[in-house]
Amino acid sequence: MDKFALNQFLTLLKREVLEHRNLFVLAPAFLALLLLFAAFWISKQFPRDQLASGVAYLAMLFDGLSPVDMAPVFMIGAIPFVFLLYTYAFVYLMNSLYQDRRDLSVLFWQSMPVSNLKTVLSKVVTIAAVAPFFYIAVLFGVYLIAMIWLTLLGIQFDIEIVGIGYMFLAAVVSLVFVYLSAIVTALWLFPSVGWLLLFSAFAKRTPFMWAAGVFILVGFLEDFLFGSQYLANWVESRANPNQYVIFSFGDLVDRLFNYDMLFGIFVGAILIAGAVLMRRFTD
Amino acid sequence: MTNIVHARSLQKSYGSFQALKNVDLDIPEGSICGLIGPNGAGKTTTLKALIGLCDVEGDLLVAGRDPRVDRHKLMEDVCFIADVGILPKWLKVSQVIDYVDGVHPKFHREKALQLLSTTSIPSNKRIKELSKGMVTQLHLALVMSIDVSLLVLDEPTLGLDIIYRKEFYDRLLNDFYDGNRTIIISTHQVEEIETLLSHLVFINAGTIVLNAAMTDLEDSFTEVIVSPELRSAADALHPIHERELLGKKSYTFEGVPRAELKQFGELFTPSVADLFVAKLKDANHG
Repeated sequence: MDKFALNQFLTLLKREVLEHRNLFVLAPAFLALLLLFAAFWISKQFPRDQLASGVAYLAMLFDGLSPVDMAPVFMIGAIPFVFLLYTYAFVYLMNSLYQDRRDLSVLFWQSMPVSNLKTVLSKVVTIAAVAPFFYIAVLFGVYLIAMIWLTLLGIQFDIEIVGIGYMFLAAVVSLVFVYLSAIVTALWLFPSVGWLLLFSAFAKRTPFMWAAGVFILVGFLEDFLFGSQYLANWVESRANPNQYVIFSFGDLVDRLFNYDMLFGIFVGAILIAGAVLMRRFTD
Repeated sequence: MTNIVHARSLQKSYGSFQALKNVDLDIPEGSICGLIGPNGAGKTTTLKALIGLCDVEGDLLVAGRDPRVDRHKLMEDVCFIADVGILPKWLKVSQVIDYVDGVHPKFHREKALQLLSTTSIPSNKRIKELSKGMVTQLHLALVMSIDVSLLVLDEPTLGLDIIYRKEFYDRLLNDFYDGNRTIIISTHQVEEIETLLSHLVFINAGTIVLNAAMTDLEDSFTEVIVSPELRSAADALHPIHERELLGKKSYTFEGVPRAELKQFGELFTPSVADLFVAKLKDANHG
């Protein structure tokens, strides 16, 4: 990819972030503020000596422990953000190739020398890597504030605070795992990503109704004509988080290189190619 | 002269409605071409086909490329302004400049900023906060800052007041058109662009009813006001249109030598608006 083509793709990603800044930046930032406020409020409910012993216990617990080994513990903190991310990811994908046709701004986007392939890929990369990055950045901010707060408490209560440093390192490593998990999840859910993009590009109105309706119809027809539930079972079989969440660096290879993952990517790529073709004409 | 647009047998249907019926179209390079037609005539469909935004049957080449398979490469040489405010409303003025700068290899940022500095458009405002006139000014500044060979305008001044409309066309002529570039304009306000045009295309009900250079109109079309005693002689020459004018009758002829018409009175070349009405009525009457 030459320099201009790379710059062009980065511009497309920037466009996605600007257009969806509420979903990608403001929403996690608001959730972070809410959680921090709740944490501070809860801490205020404890007597001073209990708070001091709690901080001392945490610092002692993590002192000297491997941040990589302890990282999965801190992945729990990311759960609300992950739920928020995937709720918004669904809304984003459903509207990504529909909204601009609805408000006619597609005529502007299509009047630029940007291929439909690049446009659609920019949506995929945005949801697989860019949006999670912003969520991770916000989470990093949350962990940083928490660490500073615990450190200040430690200094105030005259507690050995080295363990808090270990905690922070483990939290940072957990963010790496969460980010890798987000990318692997997007690949694992590639058929769903492709399906939503396909109907986002196809539907003249209510893309969700089309995406859900056609899926239910295909499942019903399979059951009615062949007496089988292969489609429903296949979708259900891909819902287990153990198939895409990364708890250690070793998990990465296992999650990425297996038959189920590669088959899913293949199916998703076909559906995304369909979305690219649908995007060709605006009428 | 080479043609920047070459179309043969273009057809397009929306369900049972045939928007384009075997359209043949040649638009010379370096011309300012007016695409004139009533509502639903197929103007927007034609323009969208030229830039690859709608699928059509038939042979089509624009700037040497087939827009249906090569749209994104074609758009390096073609710019488009539609009849509706199509700039994304959520973008700020500065962001839309950044975007075009990032994706278009022939965009000149400094020129866009210089053009915008002559307007009252603030760079920190979102598009949705601008008036329709400002949005059109902004869009024009953007496309005039792109070094393209063809500019396609679909009712670009629709909904603008007379000051913005005049300024739009002044800018187009002074800052964009250099004799080598081609402009295709579709508009209802025929009188406003008549003096700009070097080529004229009339479209009606999906069919091209006129495709001619403005310089050829004088040779092909003649308008004459005929006194009552000569009307039967004028009728015998099969005028394409006739109308009452201040108690007299005006006839429009196509392809009749002026020497033959001199006997009826003073000869005129019909205005584009009058010719448009004449050709449409002629086409409708078969």
